[in-house]
Amino acid sequence: MFGFSSKQLIGVGLFLFAIFIGVPLVIGATGRWDFYFTLTSVALLAIASAGVWLTFYIGRINIGQGAFALIGAYVSAILVVKAGWSFWISLPAAGLFAAVVAVLIGLPILRLRGVYFAMITLVLTQVVTLTALALPVTNGAKGISNIPLPSGISVFGIPILPDFAAMENTKLAFYYTACIIMILTYAALYRLVNSRLGHLCRSMQQNEELASSIGVNIAYIRIVIFAISSFFGGLGGAMFGSIAQSVYPSSFQVADSVNFMLNCFLGGLGYVFGPMLGTLVLYFGWDLLFEFGKYQMLIYSTILIVIIRFLPNGLLSIRFGKGGDK
Amino acid sequence: MEQILANGVYLGSQYAMIALGLTLIFALMNVLNFAHGQMYVIGGFVTYTFYGQWGVPFVLALVMSCVTLAILGALIEKFLFAPVIKGSAREESTMLLAAGIAFFLDAVILLVFGEKQRGVPKIVDGVFNWDFRIIMPYDRILICLLAILSIVAFIGLMQYTKTGRALRALAQDRTAAQLMGVNVDRYSMIGFALGAMLAGLVGGLLVTITGVNLGMGGPTSIKAFMMVMIGGAGVISGAIWGGIILGFMEAIGLALLYQYGDITYLLIFVSLMIFLAIRPQGLMGKPWG
Amino acid sequence: MSPLLQVRNVTKKYGGLTANNDISFDVAENEILSVIGPNGAGKSTLFKMISSFTPTTTGEVIYRGERISNLRPHIVARKGVVRTFQETTIFKSMTVRESVVVAQHLRARASLAGYFWGSKTAKNDVTAFGKYADELLEFLGMSDISKEQASNLPQGSLRALGIAIGLATDPKVLLLDEPFAGMNHDETMNMVNLVRSVRDERGVTVMLVEHDMPAVMSISDRIVVLNFGEKIAEGTPSEIQNNEKVIEAYLGSVDDEIGM
Repeated sequence: MFGFSSKQLIGVGLFLFAIFIGVPLVIGATGRWDFYFTLTSVALLAIASAGVWLTFYIGRINIGQGAFALIGAYVSAILVVKAGWSFWISLPAAGLFAAVVAVLIGLPILRLRGVYFAMITLVLTQVVTLTALALPVTNGAKGISNIPLPSGISVFGIPILPDFAAMENTKLAFYYTACIIMILTYAALYRLVNSRLGHLCRSMQQNEELASSIGVNIAYIRIVIFAISSFFGGLGGAMFGSIAQSVYPSSFQVADSVNFMLNCFLGGLGYVFGPMLGTLVLYFGWDLLFEFGKYQMLIYSTILIVIIRFLPNGLLSIRFGKGGDK
Repeated sequence: MEQILANGVYLGSQYAMIALGLTLIFALMNVLNFAHGQMYVIGGFVTYTFYGQWGVPFVLALVMSCVTLAILGALIEKFLFAPVIKGSAREESTMLLAAGIAFFLDAVILLVFGEKQRGVPKIVDGVFNWDFRIIMPYDRILICLLAILSIVAFIGLMQYTKTGRALRALAQDRTAAQLMGVNVDRYSMIGFALGAMLAGLVGGLLVTITGVNLGMGGPTSIKAFMMVMIGGAGVISGAIWGGIILGFMEAIGLALLYQYGDITYLLIFVSLMIFLAIRPQGLMGKPWG
Repeated sequence: MSPLLQVRNVTKKYGGLTANNDISFDVAENEILSVIGPNGAGKSTLFKMISSFTPTTTGEVIYRGERISNLRPHIVARKGVVRTFQETTIFKSMTVRESVVVAQHLRARASLAGYFWGSKTAKNDVTAFGKYADELLEFLGMSDISKEQASNLPQGSLRALGIAIGLATDPKVLLLDEPFAGMNHDETMNMVNLVRSVRDERGVTVMLVEHDMPAVMSISDRIVVLNFGEKIAEGTPSEIQNNEKVIEAYLGSVDDEIGM
């Protein structure tokens, strides 16, 4: 099926079982309802991280995903609160808007390589935060709060998506929604990487000159990839805003952009599912360390440093060995 | 106008020093040191502790800032960056390490020095006032002079000493430097220590004026990145120019656009992006660093 | 018959330096033409201008009556003029076969979206690419190393891989950048035969930049000689061998050559 081996299919099946049935069972048994919020956040951040990973795939270090997450969050919030759109329509709109912005910004900056691109994307996060502070439509520092919960959608009277506001347990609903979007994102990412576009990206990552000599329009593919990457960022950000029911200029900051990048590095840049694992480990790990109080940051960063010191090629490199690709 | 120029020189000299340290580390090891701002903050806290808390003479406190950061930088290079660079398939992995170190230093600062804003007594009193055209407290002038002096000393070190020549050779071409008999491992460590020391020195200098707090690390790193980009990564003259240009832009922007708040920074960021789109390698950089 | 490719009054200046000055010559269909000259004569720059990797300062390059200079490299490649690089320019972490498959980009019939959704055309393409890659590697005598990762290959195979990548794009004109550099006599002779068969069996017009005189003399139909950015001679190998200007240029620079 879809060219997967049976081993891969079993793996995917186990994964789906774990997140859709296993997690609710465990949470129900232990009573740690707060884990729903943690895991929902992990799923959403993993979507944005998937975008960052994709820009890595064309050889660009992207520390600007926070900018696109923030754009997505604002676009969705404004469409829902001020224009009265349904959240479910504002969600793809937020992604698309982020992608359009990415095209406009990408045209000049994607010519930069290496640390230059990394640094300018870092600055980009700051630009969007400051723009959000300055524009009237984003409400400045006050931000947009009291975003209503997603309303239901029905076609010809048949409910397709339920009304979140009428639900008793929105935590579970948000968890499922986030997981479904995350799975779609990673399925698309996997497909993309293993299709021709992915092969062209790899050729560009390894040598842009040679890629253009075999007829690859590298400028075009860079833009397409950056737009897709930012689409994921916008999607994750919009969903986040909806769960928090608010968005502020500080909702996504430079530190968040750095974290998205760290998720990818930690999971391993050679593996499509690396950013998902990286996000889980980093975010969940951070959450678990909460009980250490003021030592939380110290322990967290120490573990981070130890991991990178002894596994510089990412967590997944334990299984696949150095330089593996898949 | 004169006031703006004076502010520009003052800011620019501080910024140039921060950028110098960052660009030195980048040139030597191809490492984007995210922890640079935190090193600056630690430098500030060390001077605060020695001068502000224990009453040690200011100059001695500055020296302590330098020594602390130099040792810290050397240890970080030897036990973290060097092995990771050797064992990593992609050199970008050092970015993760640098970010981890930034978090770690933030945590250490939080535990040792706390979250509060800290200031120290003025090192000299009084205000220089030239006909209300330039008004500047004497301590700012002194700090500015010290910063310029340090920059000159640093350039002298790089140009005329054996260490400086080795570092420049290393920055230009690692393999060639090795062939020429430069002890690459040793000088990488020295260079990193030197870069960290510069950050600590500026921190120590500026604590007398702006004070210091935990939250200053990240924004300082971003500013340093910008200066390095303006001038061209890994180029010493570029870092100095970058610092001066950013200093002047800030001074001018804050004077003209005072009532619009952060719009100065927004304009600086946007113009930087436009500038880099036209000239990706910065003012002085080689194409593609 | 009009020539396949024409270089017309091409000049390239970098700041105050003139890398190429007013160079003109024609390339006929199905010939092997070498561009030779001492170091710094401007050979590589000329190649970069023909493949649009760098713009000309003045002058133009015409291919089948169309200007191909001052475009972008991938557009020139699409028209059928493809360059190869020296051995360091490869897809390091791909295998030989993967490199040749990816290089068939221009032969793709399906759109990128088609590949994403797995359309029928895309599936056919993928099969065809694989088949052609095997065939091409067989033709180049590289079947036994097709699963090797490029970064592990010895120098000679890297050069061949470069040519394989170039050929995979289905070029009409192939520009080879120093295909014999650093090779011993046997390797060079193998490569000479390979280049010849590329022309004879695949109908590809070949232009090459080279230092190795004996190889150039044996392989070329015609030779263009550059010195200090100027064209000083053009003709068949025997004409070039007896050209006084050429002899002078080379005698004057024998010492420079050793450094290569």
